[in-house]
Amino acid sequence: MYKHTGSRGSGAPSWVLQRITGLLLVVVVIGHYFVMHANPASGHTYAAVLERMHQPFWKMFDLTFITVGLWHGLNGTWGIFRDYKMKPAVSLTIYGIIILSGIAFWVLGVNTILSF
Amino acid sequence: MAYQPKPPEGWLKTNLKYYKHSGSWAWILHRITGLGLTAYIFVHIYALTSLTQGPQAFDNEMKLFTTPVFKVLEWLLFSLVLYHAFNGVRIVLVDWASGARNHKKILTVVYGLGVVLFIGMGVLMFREPLANMFASIR
Repeated sequence: MYKHTGSRGSGAPSWVLQRITGLLLVVVVIGHYFVMHANPASGHTYAAVLERMHQPFWKMFDLTFITVGLWHGLNGTWGIFRDYKMKPAVSLTIYGIIILSGIAFWVLGVNTILSF
Repeated sequence: MAYQPKPPEGWLKTNLKYYKHSGSWAWILHRITGLGLTAYIFVHIYALTSLTQGPQAFDNEMKLFTTPVFKVLEWLLFSLVLYHAFNGVRIVLVDWASGARNHKKILTVVYGLGVVLFIGMGVLMFREPLANMFASIR
């Protein structure tokens, strides 16, 4: 079966991780919205953001958030593509775009967090 | 040549028939909101790189993001977050608990809780204009 879809794995580990990261994100993203987006003063001024960015807790929080969020989003996107019968070349191209854009934006985000 | 079964009617008609079930809608909405949120996290990461360019750059950018149009978009984005989060919990319940037995009841909770929190977030985000509005009525 997998031979024709260009996949060697069953996808089970990423399926389990998708659920675990998802449960984590339910709490984290809704919390993030209440802290950062509900209140313009805490989320939209440089001074307030920098004050948080200098605390190790929020640094770790943001690093975890960016890693888990990007992985969950891109793994989900790949999961959608996997549902369709793709030619190996198409599959490889889409997989490559997902991996490379994921790494690029992870580096971009981590660079922002660690420059304080 | 591989056997290709022919659908009894057109592609669109077959799919529309399939999507009349609430669970199918939940599934397709979960995918659409998921793709939307993934696209958004890219924009979000890119937008916040202005933090490294100093207070001026960041505060100028935030001036744009706190205009009414962007505040409303920000609020609407929360509906995607809420739906994807709560329906995600529903998926986990179906997969790992006996959620499949009452997934429709859980779906009602998903939509209900989503609407309540969405309105709550709206009140929080727009508390100043709302307070002004009610003050002028009184």
